Amino acid sequence: MMDGMEEVLHSETNGTKSGRSDTVDLNDSTLQVDISDALSEREKVKFTVHTKTTLPDYNKPEFSVVRQHEEFIWLHDRFDENEDYAGYIIPPPPPRPDFDASREKLQKLGEGEGSMTKEEFNKMKQELEAEYLATFKKTVAMHEVFLTRLAQHPIFRTDHNFKVFLEYEQDLSVRTKNKKEKVEGLFRSINRSTDEILLAATQKDVDDYFEKEKGFLLEYHAAIKDSTLKADKMTQAHKTGVADSYIKLSTGLSQLGTIEGPRLEKFINKVSDTFEKARKVEGRVASDEDLKLSDTLRYYVRDGSAAKDLLYRRLRCLANYEQANKNLDRARAKNKDVHAAELAQQNACERFEHMSARAKEELNSFKTRRVAAFKKNLIELAELELKHAKAQAQLLKNCLQALQEE
Amino acid sequence: MADSREPPPLFNDDDDSRKDDDNDDLFTSAVQSPVSELTTPEDQTKQEGAGDPLTSPPPATSFPPDPSGGDRPDLFESCEEPSVGGFSSVPLEQPAEGGGTQQVSTDAQDPPPTPPTTPSVGSLVEIPLIVDTDQDLQPSTSSSSSLTRPDFTLFDTTPDTSETPVSSPDILSPPTTSNTSTSTTTSAQELSASPPSSSALLDLSMTLPQELSSEPPANLVDASSVEPAVMSSFITPAEEASVLDAAAPTNDDDDDAAAAAAIPTNLAGEDPALSSEEALVTVYDSETPEDPPLPASNILPPMGAPLTPPVAPITPTATPNLTPNVTPAAPTPVTPVAAARPSAEQLESESGDEFIEISISDPQKIGDGMSSYMAYKVTTKTNIPYFRKKHWSVTRRFSDFLGLHGKLVEKHLHSGRIIPPAPEKSAIGTTKIKLGSDKSSDSSSTDFIERRRASLERYMNRTAAHPTLRSDPDFREFIELDAELPRATQTSALSSAGVLRLFNRVGETVNKMTFKMDESDQWFEEKTQQIENLDAQLRKLHAAMEGLVAYRRELATSTASFAKSAAVLSSVEEHSALSRALHQLAESTERTHTIHHAQADADFYHLSETTKDYIHLIGAVKDVFHERVKTFQTWQHSQTMLAKKREAKAKAELAGRMDKVQQAQDEVAEWEAKVERSQEEFDRISRAIKKEMEQFDIVRVKDFKDMLVKYLEALMTSQQQIIKVWETFLPEARAIS
Repeated sequence: MMDGMEEVLHSETNGTKSGRSDTVDLNDSTLQVDISDALSEREKVKFTVHTKTTLPDYNKPEFSVVRQHEEFIWLHDRFDENEDYAGYIIPPPPPRPDFDASREKLQKLGEGEGSMTKEEFNKMKQELEAEYLATFKKTVAMHEVFLTRLAQHPIFRTDHNFKVFLEYEQDLSVRTKNKKEKVEGLFRSINRSTDEILLAATQKDVDDYFEKEKGFLLEYHAAIKDSTLKADKMTQAHKTGVADSYIKLSTGLSQLGTIEGPRLEKFINKVSDTFEKARKVEGRVASDEDLKLSDTLRYYVRDGSAAKDLLYRRLRCLANYEQANKNLDRARAKNKDVHAAELAQQNACERFEHMSARAKEELNSFKTRRVAAFKKNLIELAELELKHAKAQAQLLKNCLQALQEE
Repeated sequence: MADSREPPPLFNDDDDSRKDDDNDDLFTSAVQSPVSELTTPEDQTKQEGAGDPLTSPPPATSFPPDPSGGDRPDLFESCEEPSVGGFSSVPLEQPAEGGGTQQVSTDAQDPPPTPPTTPSVGSLVEIPLIVDTDQDLQPSTSSSSSLTRPDFTLFDTTPDTSETPVSSPDILSPPTTSNTSTSTTTSAQELSASPPSSSALLDLSMTLPQELSSEPPANLVDASSVEPAVMSSFITPAEEASVLDAAAPTNDDDDDAAAAAAIPTNLAGEDPALSSEEALVTVYDSETPEDPPLPASNILPPMGAPLTPPVAPITPTATPNLTPNVTPAAPTPVTPVAAARPSAEQLESESGDEFIEISISDPQKIGDGMSSYMAYKVTTKTNIPYFRKKHWSVTRRFSDFLGLHGKLVEKHLHSGRIIPPAPEKSAIGTTKIKLGSDKSSDSSSTDFIERRRASLERYMNRTAAHPTLRSDPDFREFIELDAELPRATQTSALSSAGVLRLFNRVGETVNKMTFKMDESDQWFEEKTQQIENLDAQLRKLHAAMEGLVAYRRELATSTASFAKSAAVLSSVEEHSALSRALHQLAESTERTHTIHHAQADADFYHLSETTKDYIHLIGAVKDVFHERVKTFQTWQHSQTMLAKKREAKAKAELAGRMDKVQQAQDEVAEWEAKVERSQEEFDRISRAIKKEMEQFDIVRVKDFKDMLVKYLEALMTSQQQIIKVWETFLPEARAIS
């Protein structure tokens, strides 16, 4: 069944890409990146990354390559580890494609096949397929957003690794981190977070703006994380709970109609049809809420986290700068290596100031971006909710009318 | 016998009528008689015989048709309460014009009939007596149990009556009052539970007022000596249903005598009148625990051995309801049957306009700790004439409802009626409430109470919708009597009755599993199958609905928690317009939470609970079907026994032992009668069930339609509310800049 689904996905994603790429608005056409196609092959998802550019560095104005999720992560890590980009908010990496939930459900459904009617089973299967498709589309969208943001950023888009990622036709043959690297990575991140906590506790920021920003981001991150969690729960309850119960209700009713015979059958069948349709609407409500609300929230959890990282890096930089100052003082006192210390202090100062300026810009753009994204998505959410609610109300009204005519 | 209770309104009405009328006594007697109307062929025959001498020649002719099966169907159809009443009661009443009519009136509680009753006392008196005897057969009423009167007494009385009309009326008068309080009812139930009736015994039943009873003891003794099979099936005087029940017991031939014997002592109480006229035994029903004036007693049928054989089959027929209708016709003794029919039709047409609406409100915790209980206010609105008022309320506790259901089952299940099941007891929920410090202290117990309140309300209205059940004296007492009902002790799961019930149920289940009836009636075969399918499907549907309710509740909860979280987010958000929009989002989701919650309640109360009710109703239908199977078994058993007896007789003849032949001959005759009776019983219950099922099907289809329409409307309202919510949100989102 999964194989069949892949076929569907193949074509479906094509059809929806235009709708997807507007998640981040870009007016500038120097480098346009989108994912034109995606194919799910067993565990892997292959994304076809399509690029259109006017930049002279690129050999051709338009080309496509096939990339996998791991390569996206590799790209992200290249940015993340590059000292030059320390002053920027690195776009958060896309989440790993995760279809386990869908697969699991599918398996459960298969096991429970005996306990339900064929009709019910088919409907459930359809529902699962739709869910799988939605997850798939979301995954693709996340990967695309990542690339789009890079392409849009005046500094990032000129990055060499990015160019390679977009242009190199062969497999990048990135491998997932081996054990040693993983341990190192773990160690580093522990190191980093202790450092972060330490800095947060000891380092006094010289700039109120950043101090404030830091406080905000911390709070914001916690709040939005919570909201995301709750929103997910809500859509989940809506989708797998309410919408799926409508299926059972609808089939249960139509069987009842059969048993009841002519007196009730027609009546009940109408109701059953209505439930079937209502369930589709409810399902759409749930997936639209998921797409417009949860996903926006989710994205800004990650983006906020990236912004927090930036603040950390800046704070680290500040600490370094102050250390350099101390070193300079000490050197002067000892009158030894003064020049080197001066140089170091100057470097650190420059670095810090440069970084602070960058970070300020970045944070402002983060804010603008966030507000714009929320606005857009909230409006869309409201419109979709309205649309579905109206559709359902109309559906029910029609049904009631039809019943009255009986 | 009369209890301290207030008389049920019905009775009161009767009382009033009596006062108005000169012949109070007659009325009362009349009342009794209708109640206990018997319909045994014998009775009819007796009546014929008796009737001729006594009052009106015509009755005899008229009677025969009634008893005959042909008439029955009509009656059944016409009266919603199918079974019993039609026949015997009708004829009886008519012959005794005054008495009969009065009786009818009381039973029916129809005001109109009463006035006519007054007429000739003497003749009336005689008739009533007869009637009473009939009644007696059926109802072995509650408190006292059943008495047995020798049949011969009846005969004697009839002729005598003419001579001593006065005395008879006196006797008669007491009956109405006697309706017993709970005790009687319980006893009645018990009686019904154990089929006391011997067919023969059933034939003649007399209901005598308490007063009467006092003297009769001697008579009783006589009766016992005679070997009357007494039926102890009790009946509340007014009800046809009860009559039916009595009939049912009759089938089981064996036990009666013992039960009957027990009763007499009680009877012994008072009546001189009885002694004068009759040897009949009267049993009082103490159901209405009231003033002496209202003796609504059901008379037990004493059976004189001689009378019994023919009578027995007929007995089941008498329906009190019918009688009231009949009464108007009564004045003209001729063709009671014909009169009865129109009346029945009237009933039906009337029932179309009749309305009764019961609402349960104000659940209240009374007392503290484990001894506390919930009391509910039961408010009734109705335009049915036999209720005293149009609008009133009483207070009842939960176990009262269960007690009512128990009584109704005891009385009406035998006759193939589908009795709406009462809400289930929930030990956990109840205990929680009992231990809870105050009401509304936590939401789960308020939920529980509300759920129970709603299910009680549905239960009461379902019961009230059934014309027979709603005219049942117990039911009327339940909704009308403005005092505490006697504590229903049978309802507790831990009581001895509960244990007994459990055993009975196990026995029934085994019986159900082991006995496979050869279904000769295709209708039943199909219906049984359909009911099974329906049961399974409804259960499935109910599970789906429960799922929906649970999920929708979850959705509501998660929406609420998202709303809270969004509110926090909005307070954190530094961009003011976005913050406002998020705040608005929080409010919108908060409102959708409320909508979802309300919708979940609608899911629950409209869909899930109704479906659950129907699952239980289907259970009641199955019970009724099973009742029929039991009747069938009795019939089969009788046939086997008859075959055996015949064989024995043949053997005896071969052996040339004439003494034994005679005995065998008697036995064969006895069993032949039993076979006939049980077959008739079986036919009767089959017909009654068909009738009931027809109604059940109609109501079910209607209920389901109503349920779905209501539910869809609720869904639509929800969606409209959601539209409003998002419409107010949209401008806020657009305002973000």
